[in-house]
Amino acid sequence: MRKKCFSYIIAFLIIITLNFIVPRLLPGDPLSAIYGEEVLLKLSGETREYINSTYNLDRPVAIQYVLHVISIFRGNLGYSIYYKKPVIELVFSYIPYTIILMGLGMLISTALGIVLGIESGWRRGKRYDRFILFMMIFFSGFPAFFMGACFLIIFGVILDILPFQGAKTAYSGMAASGITFDFLRHLILPLLSLVFVFTPSSYLLTRNAMISSIKEPYILLAKAKGLKDIRIRYGHAGRNSLIPVATHTGVRLGTVMMTGTLFIEIIFSYPGMGTLIYNSILNRDYPVIQGSFLFVAVLVLLINFLMDISYVRLDPRIEYAY
Amino acid sequence: MHISVKDNLKRDKSARAGLAIIAVLILFSMITPFFSGNPEAFSRSIFLRPGLNNILGTNDLGQDIFSRLAHGLRTSLMVSIGVGVIATSISLLMGVSSGFIGGIYDIIVMRIIDAFLVMPSIIILILLSVFIRPATVTMIILISLLCWPEGARIIRGQTLALKEKRHIYSARTFGAKKTYILFRHIIPDLGNIIVVSFIHNARTAVFLEAGMAFIGISSITTISLGTIMHNAFKFYYLPVWLWWFLPPGILLSMILLSFTFLGNLMEKLIDPRLNNA
Repeated sequence: MRKKCFSYIIAFLIIITLNFIVPRLLPGDPLSAIYGEEVLLKLSGETREYINSTYNLDRPVAIQYVLHVISIFRGNLGYSIYYKKPVIELVFSYIPYTIILMGLGMLISTALGIVLGIESGWRRGKRYDRFILFMMIFFSGFPAFFMGACFLIIFGVILDILPFQGAKTAYSGMAASGITFDFLRHLILPLLSLVFVFTPSSYLLTRNAMISSIKEPYILLAKAKGLKDIRIRYGHAGRNSLIPVATHTGVRLGTVMMTGTLFIEIIFSYPGMGTLIYNSILNRDYPVIQGSFLFVAVLVLLINFLMDISYVRLDPRIEYAY
Repeated sequence: MHISVKDNLKRDKSARAGLAIIAVLILFSMITPFFSGNPEAFSRSIFLRPGLNNILGTNDLGQDIFSRLAHGLRTSLMVSIGVGVIATSISLLMGVSSGFIGGIYDIIVMRIIDAFLVMPSIIILILLSVFIRPATVTMIILISLLCWPEGARIIRGQTLALKEKRHIYSARTFGAKKTYILFRHIIPDLGNIIVVSFIHNARTAVFLEAGMAFIGISSITTISLGTIMHNAFKFYYLPVWLWWFLPPGILLSMILLSFTFLGNLMEKLIDPRLNNA
């Protein structure tokens, strides 16, 4: 476990350092990057010096780095040029949508994957199994953004039955049906795409685990005892197939699911972190890009860390793997 | 214990399909740019429907979509093969050296690998791309630098296991030098695992490149499947998506699927128990 913590600390340092170095790798100084080449003509020497000293740009790089790290720990992620707000405020107003979307997507897709996987593994080789398996493998090839865009065009544009932009209609709070209904309607398409993207992997894992666990002797015993089919399927075989799925979902939650959610948000202009980053790229709002990068990256690290701790509880054998 | 790739390939329909699709796409992307015309040529005939002159019609700038698609496919395949080669080489170098040398070097390399594995590589790639705006070659290098640790970890584990095997031990008792053991016994025995990590890296690379291009943070001058989709998605409300947005998406999914099938085949070769599942 100590080794694990150590690698998380290294990862954290790499992320902070990248966040510090990469913008400084660009040619030219920060002032000409923001104001363009004319900066040397338009700003007087004094003004330039004043700006440089306020933002500590005249100090040595090492000291700038230390100041950067200190300000991050104080919760100062910079100030948005476009929105004219501290980045941390922006992040906190956008992150709830990402968490709702990702959380629901994970829950629904994992549950669906497990149920389909158990049924499929139980009827291995039958028509039901072959059909579901084919569909899942087929969908596993679709990148999240392609899936999302297809859903948007089909359901949003051609059939025109569901809203496909943003998280709510303007003034929907005034409508008789209320804001919750409107919010849920906006959630359907992004969520549906996420479920289609995430389900295949948990399905395939459950199916594989199920196929190996129905060969175990305790299944034979359960059958011999005369237990009901459904009880063996879910209570005995299914339950024991859950461990790999749980660990795998944990591994995927931080990286794969987070990035999938970001892409889906961009497609549907859903106001989460993905859209914040995307809009900041379009607006060239570099402080927001850096700040939200740092926030998302550290969030993923944190999720991964919590998952790593909880596997050991779930399956103590894992401890010996390190 | 002898496992033949050929026999397994014969048995595995999906892997055969995957191999065929990849081969056809590589051939297609190599041949078509010769006669499909200039993908950058502007014309006045914008938003043409598919027809005889333009197989897939034209886009908002009057450029021929089919020739852009052919060039884009070439970029995507180049990125995937480039990353496959570079990232797998780094994995091999770090994995084998770490497993073979051991000691403090092994500990340091493993900590670096672990640190890379817990980081969200796509999000880091987004940050790097925003500032660098990578063209094809830079993109290959960036993705390779983010992709190698996973393979390196597996290769290291396998090297450690191989080191203890009987045939290596007996070679050592015959007085074989370390380099001889390394190049004559260990690296050839890693063959299948190297292919697996090549396929895995190639697949990840196609996906990442397309993703970066789709959100518009790769170089604007590069034509790739992702940039075509990026441009096409701006016009989602027009029927043009059928011949502009869908084809690159389908090609992309086909590439990803074929790599998945090939990867499954190779994994079965490494672990024959999976054959039954």
